[in-house]
Amino acid sequence: MAARDETLGPDRGGSEFSPSLEIELTAEERRAGLAGAGPYRLAARRLRRNRIALSFGGLFIVLVLACLAAPLWADHVAHRDYRDIPGSSETVTKGGEEVFVVGLDGVPIGPTWRGEYFLGADGSGRDVMVRLLYGGRNSLLIGIAATLITTFLGLAIGLAAGYLRGWVDNALSRLLDVIWAFPVILLGIALGTALALGGLKIGPLEVSGSSLAIPVFVIAVVYIPYLARPIRGEVLALREKEFVEAARAQGQGPLRIMFSEIGPNVVTTLIVFFPLLVANAVLLEAALSFLGAGVQAPEPSWGTMISDGVDRVVSAPHLAVVPGVMLVLTVLALNVFGDGVRDALDPRAKVRIEH
Amino acid sequence: MGVPAARTGRGEVIRLREVVRSRPSGKVLGVLSALALAAGTIGIAACGDDDDDGGDGVEGGEIKIAQTSQPDFLDPALSYTVNGWEPMWLVYTPLLAYPHEEGTAGSELIPGLAEDLPEVSEDGTVYTLTLRDGLTYSDGTEVKASDFEHTIKRVLNLESGGSPFYLAIDGAEEYLEDGDPDADISGIETDDATGEITITLVEPDAAFSNVLAMNFAGLVPGDTPFKNMTEDPPPGVGSYEFTESVPNRQFVMERVEGFEDLGLDEGIPPASIDKITTEIIKNIDQQAQDVLANELDYMQDPPSPDLKPQVVEEVGPDGIEEQRYEEFTTSSTYYFFLNVNEEPFDDPLVREAVNYGIDKPALARLFAGELAPGCSFLPPGMPGYDEAFDTTDCPYGDPNDPPDLERARELIAEAGAEGAEVTVWGNNDAPTDKVTEAYTEMLNDIGLDATPRILDGGVYFQTVGNEETRAQTGFTNWFQDFPHPLNFYFLVDGDTIQPTNNQNFGNVDDDMIDDEIDRLRLETDLDAVAEDWTALDEYLISPPQSYIAPYGHRKLALFLSDRMDFESAVFHPVYNNDYSSWQLKESE
Repeated sequence: MAARDETLGPDRGGSEFSPSLEIELTAEERRAGLAGAGPYRLAARRLRRNRIALSFGGLFIVLVLACLAAPLWADHVAHRDYRDIPGSSETVTKGGEEVFVVGLDGVPIGPTWRGEYFLGADGSGRDVMVRLLYGGRNSLLIGIAATLITTFLGLAIGLAAGYLRGWVDNALSRLLDVIWAFPVILLGIALGTALALGGLKIGPLEVSGSSLAIPVFVIAVVYIPYLARPIRGEVLALREKEFVEAARAQGQGPLRIMFSEIGPNVVTTLIVFFPLLVANAVLLEAALSFLGAGVQAPEPSWGTMISDGVDRVVSAPHLAVVPGVMLVLTVLALNVFGDGVRDALDPRAKVRIEH
Repeated sequence: MGVPAARTGRGEVIRLREVVRSRPSGKVLGVLSALALAAGTIGIAACGDDDDDGGDGVEGGEIKIAQTSQPDFLDPALSYTVNGWEPMWLVYTPLLAYPHEEGTAGSELIPGLAEDLPEVSEDGTVYTLTLRDGLTYSDGTEVKASDFEHTIKRVLNLESGGSPFYLAIDGAEEYLEDGDPDADISGIETDDATGEITITLVEPDAAFSNVLAMNFAGLVPGDTPFKNMTEDPPPGVGSYEFTESVPNRQFVMERVEGFEDLGLDEGIPPASIDKITTEIIKNIDQQAQDVLANELDYMQDPPSPDLKPQVVEEVGPDGIEEQRYEEFTTSSTYYFFLNVNEEPFDDPLVREAVNYGIDKPALARLFAGELAPGCSFLPPGMPGYDEAFDTTDCPYGDPNDPPDLERARELIAEAGAEGAEVTVWGNNDAPTDKVTEAYTEMLNDIGLDATPRILDGGVYFQTVGNEETRAQTGFTNWFQDFPHPLNFYFLVDGDTIQPTNNQNFGNVDDDMIDDEIDRLRLETDLDAVAEDWTALDEYLISPPQSYIAPYGHRKLALFLSDRMDFESAVFHPVYNNDYSSWQLKESE
C-alpha cells in the first residue's frame, strides 16, 4: 500500500496513490475547497478551464475525424480513389469550361471548390482533397502508433534502468545515449532509407519496405530516449520512497514493484508527454516522407504531398500549401493542447521534451 | 566502368547505364548518353527544321552560360555525360567527326583530323586512316599520328566509361591486363612520318567508325599524363580551348585563333563567340529567371516544369516577346522493360496487353510535355527510324490517342493473368517516380496486381540489371551515343545478357533478333540496310513479340537570352547544343 507523501499538506493536492505528484493549489482552488482533492481531479478542472487548450484539442479531434472520413469523401463526394490517375483524355469542368485534369504542359488544375477535385489535382492528376484526407490518416496513424510504441518501450526501459540500476542501468543508459547522440532527423533518414530499400526482417517477422510499419518503427525508435530518460529520472527518485521499501519488505519482486508501485506514479509524465510526442512524431514523419525515407509511393502522406508540391510552387502552389497548412494545424493543435495538459498536471513544468 | 550521371535542372538524375562489356565480341556496347537530355537542351532554333538559314549575328563577344552540375570530367578520355560532351566536342576533335548541322545531315560521318574516311578491309577488321598535315594543338604542339594510340591508351588506362568501345581493338585487352601504361596496343600501328594510322579489330564492327568519332577519341598530345586532367584540361584541336577550370565553380572556353587555317572539313567551322564562361548554378529556377532577365545567356538544362509555362508564355514560339525558346525531339527512347523470364511477362499476351494499355499522352504530361509519344524503339534521327511507326502504323493505335484499355483487359483475361502480382521498378528521379506510379496504376487497371518499388537513382540500374533482383518490369530509357542502330539494339540482344550489370533488362533473347543484329553488324553501308533495321524494329515491338513497351522520345529545349541570335544557333543530333554556331546579335 502506497504511503502518503510527507510533502503533501492541506494546501496541496495529492493522493496516497500518487505520492510523487505535488500540485500546488491556487488561491482560487483553495477557496473552492479543493484542498485534499485528487491530482487528476484537479488537473481535469484546470484543463476544463483552459479554453485555448480545449479549443485546440477540439481542433485536433476535428482533423482526426475528417481524416477518418476519407473513404466517405472519396466514394460519395469526389468519386475517386486516392490512387486514381485519370486518363489523358479525361476532363473536368472548371469555370464553366471542360479542361484536362493535367494540362499538356503538365500543370494540374487548381481547386474547383466542388466535389470532384475540390482542392485541385496533383501532377499525376490525382484528387488533392482525397489524398489530403488519406494522407492525414497515414500521417496521424504513424504518429500515434509510433508514440504508443515509444511510450511502451520508453516506460519499460526507464523503469528497468531507474529501478534495477547497476549493469542494467549502465547498458540501457548507454543504448539511450547512442540513440540520443544522433540528430533525430539524420537518424530517421538513415534508418528510414535503409529499411525502405530492404524492408525489415527480424527472425520470422518480415515487413516490406513499402509498409507503413517501417516509418512507425523508425520514429518510435528515435524518440525512445526522449521519454525513457525522464522516466528513469523519476524512477530513481521514487525507488527511494518508503512505499517502495514497504513493498520490498512485503516480498514483492522487482517486476511487480516496477509496474504496480512505481509505474502508476509516472503515468502523469506519460500523459504530459503523449500529445507532445505525437506532434513531434507527425512532424518527423512528414520530414522523412518529404525526403523519401518515410511513406512510400503510392501511399500518400502530408510529407510526400509537400515533396510533390515543392516542384510546382509557382504553377500549382496549392499542392504544397494545402498539406503544409494541415500539418501546421495538426502540430499546433497537439502542442497547445499538450501544453495545457502539462500546465494542468505539472504546473512547475518539471517535465519537458528536450532536444 | 564509370556510371556518370547528369543532373538536370529539375534534379532528375539520368544515369548512364554502366557500359557492360562482356567480351570484345564485336558487339558494340551501347553507352547510355544520359546527358543528351540535360545538356542538349539548348538546341537550335527549329530543331529538326531544315530552314535554318543562319541569323544576323556578329563575330566576337563574350557570354555567360550555366550548367546545374559540374561535368563529370573535363578530360576527353573520361567524360561520359552531356555536361561534358557538349563543350568538349568543340575542344577535342577525333579522327572522324560529324558536321555541325542539324537533323540527319549532322549524323553523317566526315573526316575530322583524318584526311578522309577510313579504308576498311574486306573482312571489316582493318581500318586505315591518314592524319592531315600541319595540324597543331591549341598550345601550338604538332599533332602526330602516334598521339592517336596515346589517346586510346588513356581511355583504357584510366578505366573510362568509354573503354568498352575500344576493347574491340585487337590487343586492347592484353594492354589492360599488362598494366603498363606505356606498353603498345598491338592492334594500333602509327607512322608519324607518313601520318598513317592502322587499326585492327578483333571482329568486324560496322559501328566502329562511329566509335572513332566519339569524344573519347578526341586527340590529345602524346605526353598527356595518365591521370584525370579536369583541373588542367589538356590541349586539343578544336575551335575552342579550355583556359580556366575551377571544378564546381566555373570553366572558361576561349576561341582558338587560327583554327580555320588548319584546313579541316568545312563541316567543322570555326567559332564566332570569343569567350564562353560556364558557371555551375545549382538552382535551375534561378537559371531560368536569369535567362529570362538576360543576365545569363543560356542554360543547359530545360526550365523546370514550374517555370516552363512562364517561359513559354513569354518567349516561346507563340510568346509575347521575340522567340528564344523552342523544344525539339532527341534521339532517345523511353520504354518499360518486360522481363520475359518472369511471370506474367513470359506470356506474349500479357506483354501485348501492356502495350495496349499504356497511356502515352498522359505520360508525356508527366514530363511537362517534354516527351513526344511514340511506339518505335529506334528514335527519331536514327537510321532505320520510321516516323509512321510512331503514329499511324503503331500496332497498338496512334500513340497520341488514349489507350485501348478494353483490349488490354481482354488480353489479360485471355492469358489468365488477372490478379498476377507485379512489382514495378522505378527510381526517385523526377519524373520517373511519377511515371512509375502511373504505369503501376495502369497495370492494376487492366487486371494485374501491381505495386511500385522506387529506388534511389544511384542504385537503380545496377539493381534491376542484377539477375538476382528478378525485376519483372520497370522504367528505363536510352539516349544515343552515336547515330547507329547497333547503339540501341545491344539492349535487346540476347548475347549481351549477363548476371550483373545487365543492360538487356527484359532478357530479350530472340534468335531472329540476334541473327539479324549479327548480320547487320557487318554491313558498313548503313543507308543500304536502313529498311532492314526498320523491319527489325517492327518485329521487336509488334505482337506476338511485344518485347518492350516504348512510350516516347524525350524532348529538349533551346533557351537563350535576348543577346543571342536565336536563328544562328544549331542543335546537333549527336552533341546537342553547338556553341560554335552561336553569335551575338548585331546590336551587341
